[in-house]
Amino acid sequence: MTQLVQAGLYGLLQGCMLGLIAVGFSLVWGVMNVVNLAHGAFVVVGAYVAFELHDLFGLDPFLGSVPAALALFVFGYLTQRYMINLVVNAPIFITLLLTFGLQLLLVNGLILVFTADYRSVPTRYAADSLVLPGDVRLPLGRLIAALIAVGLTVALGYLMRRTRTGLAILATGMDRGAARLMGIRARHVYALTFGIAAALAGGAGAAVGAVSTFSPADAGRFTLFSFVAAVLGGLGNTSGALLGGLVLGLVEGIGGQLLPGTLVNALAFAVLVVVLAIRPQGIAGRAFYASRVEA
Amino acid sequence: MTNVDSEDPATEVTGVAGTAAAAPVAEVPAPIRPDGLRRALPWAVGLLALAAGFGLQTQLYTGQERTVTTVFMFVGLAAAWNLLGGYTGYASFGQVGFFGLGGYATVVVMVHAHLSFWLALPVAAVVAGGFAALVGWPLLRLRGHYFAVATLGVAEGLREVMTNLPRLTGGGAGITIPTVGPEAPTRWLGNDGFYVLFLLLAAFVVATAGIVASTPAGYALRAIHQDEEAAAAMGINTTVAKTLVFAGSAALTGMIGAAYAFQQVTIYPERLFDVDITVLMVVMVVLGGSGTILGPVLGAIAVAYASEWLRQHFTAGHTFVLGALIILAVILLPQGFTNYVRDATKSRRFSLLENVRRYRL
Amino acid sequence: MGTKLRTGLAVAAVAVLAAGCGSKGESTSGTQAGGKLVLGASLSLTGSLAREGILTREGYDVCGKVVNGKGGIAVGGKKLTLEIQYQDDTSKPDTAAQLVDQFNDKGVKLILGPYGSATTEAAAAVIERNGQVMSDSSGADDNIFSKGYKRTFAVLSGAKQYAASMIQAINDLAGPKPKTVAFVSADDGFSKTVTAAGQATAQQLGFQVVDVEYVPNGTSDVSQALTKIKPKNPDVIIGSAHLVEGVAIVKQAKELGVGPSGGFAETVAPPTPDFVQTLGASAEGVLGSTQWTVTTKGSDAWFGSATDYAATFAKQFGGRQPEYHGAEATAACLALILAVQKAGSTDAAKVRDAMAGLDEQTFFGPLKFSENGQNSVKPMSVIQIQGGKPVTVWPKDAAEAPLKWPGKA
Repeated sequence: MTQLVQAGLYGLLQGCMLGLIAVGFSLVWGVMNVVNLAHGAFVVVGAYVAFELHDLFGLDPFLGSVPAALALFVFGYLTQRYMINLVVNAPIFITLLLTFGLQLLLVNGLILVFTADYRSVPTRYAADSLVLPGDVRLPLGRLIAALIAVGLTVALGYLMRRTRTGLAILATGMDRGAARLMGIRARHVYALTFGIAAALAGGAGAAVGAVSTFSPADAGRFTLFSFVAAVLGGLGNTSGALLGGLVLGLVEGIGGQLLPGTLVNALAFAVLVVVLAIRPQGIAGRAFYASRVEA
Repeated sequence: MTNVDSEDPATEVTGVAGTAAAAPVAEVPAPIRPDGLRRALPWAVGLLALAAGFGLQTQLYTGQERTVTTVFMFVGLAAAWNLLGGYTGYASFGQVGFFGLGGYATVVVMVHAHLSFWLALPVAAVVAGGFAALVGWPLLRLRGHYFAVATLGVAEGLREVMTNLPRLTGGGAGITIPTVGPEAPTRWLGNDGFYVLFLLLAAFVVATAGIVASTPAGYALRAIHQDEEAAAAMGINTTVAKTLVFAGSAALTGMIGAAYAFQQVTIYPERLFDVDITVLMVVMVVLGGSGTILGPVLGAIAVAYASEWLRQHFTAGHTFVLGALIILAVILLPQGFTNYVRDATKSRRFSLLENVRRYRL
Repeated sequence: MGTKLRTGLAVAAVAVLAAGCGSKGESTSGTQAGGKLVLGASLSLTGSLAREGILTREGYDVCGKVVNGKGGIAVGGKKLTLEIQYQDDTSKPDTAAQLVDQFNDKGVKLILGPYGSATTEAAAAVIERNGQVMSDSSGADDNIFSKGYKRTFAVLSGAKQYAASMIQAINDLAGPKPKTVAFVSADDGFSKTVTAAGQATAQQLGFQVVDVEYVPNGTSDVSQALTKIKPKNPDVIIGSAHLVEGVAIVKQAKELGVGPSGGFAETVAPPTPDFVQTLGASAEGVLGSTQWTVTTKGSDAWFGSATDYAATFAKQFGGRQPEYHGAEATAACLALILAVQKAGSTDAAKVRDAMAGLDEQTFFGPLKFSENGQNSVKPMSVIQIQGGKPVTVWPKDAAEAPLKWPGKA
């Protein structure tokens, strides 16, 4: 029994941390209808930024998530403004291919610069755990990462609904033409959105670097998790993806205990396919975005 | 004088124009088709290309032969994807799932049931096509990105399932077709044999795509692509059409997967269900020109050669350069080469920047 | 004429031109003539095995530099310089096979093995068909050698020894002797062979195997397996996997509070520099099995003893010490060179026969191939991470330091 509790809690923490990645992914998909296949690569870049800062200045990786996020915000803004904006009106597989090419570029660029070594940002405290009754452990590093994720998601929600910038983003997502007529600069707003998403990914990447090992080859795995979490949670809601991540983490955690270990990967895809077949708008998706889903 | 209650749109129009054509009531005019010679020409060209393919074989070394064989494989895959993604507009990102399913079906049947490869090939097509029909029923209701993501999920899920049936498929350790000695159900075809096999398969797929495209079925698919509701309103059974093309495309892909598995002799799930294969297919179709017959062929040849050339000359950074090339190609030539050539020669406007202006925000 | 027609005719013209452009009639450029011995190597320079592929390449490079520094190889009265041609197989088995075929086209018949069992297996099939010869540096899985291939020779010890050697070491050296072991294994062919042999050895030596958990190959999250193992309280956890999983096992065990009294013993990961770098203090005391250490016995004319090899490697790579991936690569290259010398020719058939009959002592240990091509006489060593460095602890006569056994009775 304690095994299930342990696995469930561990899975929730993992899902929360990775859910932050999915929040950015979901934001870009919801507002611009762009599925960013390079999103996982942003995470890995963030991890490398934190690694380098730790290497050069001894900066703690959780603090390093701030400069990582800022660096990726700038990168994301420029990428959207001067590259992805060029194909936004094209059929969807064009944007998919463009972001795929970007992913190849980033991942292989990282391999060329940093080599394919596995790295981790060591901290003294990240592997220690809080001990709960029944010897259930909550690793400190993952706990901090999960709290950061929740905090950032709440902040993003506030940004979206209470500030003019956020409302501009939402408006452009709903009806780009009308938003432009109202004086919103769509190119800038799109770039801003992508920048925010990249920043979230970068910040999450720094946390990942502190908690587990990473290498450029991990980019695809993060993108895939974001897909599933975003679909599971549903679009149109900043906390939807985080919710999706939590559910996915829980399912993988408990499923991993009940099923043989090698089936864990299959579980994520099974969840994805089942959700898409039964309730494509996801758990917390908004009705407006559901209209994009089905024929 | 237009009569609002007229039930005959043909006479209504002709009544206004004054020409009394006694058109039959409510008959939809036949689609415009080119006359005999012009219809035969693409087939003649295709046959010529096929002959050239056979001729090429005499000129190549073994290693080059393998490269060209891979090119033929991708021509077939791209053409099959194009039927679903280019004509019907349902961009599937899980095509490699059928590729791998066909491959594993063949290997399992050859290893456990000792069937000859030539019997295993149709089995692979049936298994892949049947599975697609089954999975298509819930998935084809989805659109756009959701369909792409769902098919991706199916493909990845298939890989995991194959990895977890070790007694049937060997799991992560791979499974080997016996190709030497008395246990071998079919003798390994050799590099020359596989060249011919893949060439014929590619020709078969392209020919099938050509046939489908020039019949009313092809028009139905194009109609679904342009406006699915309107197509349904015109009386096209969109569900049946989509499922048929999904299953057909899957069956063709499965056959190519079967040939690939036989060529590799030992297969592993990560390779046979590798998502890079799907992406390469899509890149080839998009760059060549989706929605045309020639597009996937040209795209497959160009991208396969480019990637091979890059790999040989930029040993360390070839994937990096490939990524950069994909980005450039997608921005400058999003409609693909054949469509670009067709539009540019008609309108005499060759500027690539026109393309960018068309799709940019 | 319509544009479609024109495009079609253009395509046909190109196709016919291409058909005529090939040059099968040309003779293969004499790559083995003109004073050079060319070896082909298809390595995973990018892709999932890039890290290990690059370590292997370093080993091949050392071989090339040392051999050419000594004036080359004497064959039939001439001295040949060694040239190694690399191609990137992107860690994919079918690409490795294709590259070996392409080497064959260019007349390169002597091949240095790729990294990893899957790619080596694919390449071995092509080698056999083409009549080439392959010196395998890293494909240890028994499957490669159970197919009746006669042209692939592995210089490294087989997969069965990876875990068995560590268990034997624990049996010999650990006091008090632990009672129970558990396995965490990746699900690829190589790791499964290792685990099966490890289980057999453990049971044979009187240990009780309380659990065997499988994790997906290449995963960095082994928490599921560890959570299942935790209540069974093994004295030692044996990890049969590669670098990523190996690091994850130690890291996540600490997070989850899984602390076997005898610590961890893992294959592949502990001797590599990445292991200590990423784990820091947690790596202390972890056992690892290795194909080669600096105390391995044996020496040869080209590289001297193991310590000499280490010094040469350090000089070429800025003071960095070699680990076993580099050493086994150099040894594979060395095996081919010894065979060429013995055969007195670069002809593939003669080299193959010479290799089959090799019986030499080298810096890597003894090289002698059994009927099926595996190195049947070379033992593996066991290291332990002490003070942040891997230190040989077994076999006793090659040990640099005694085993620091953390276990309690």
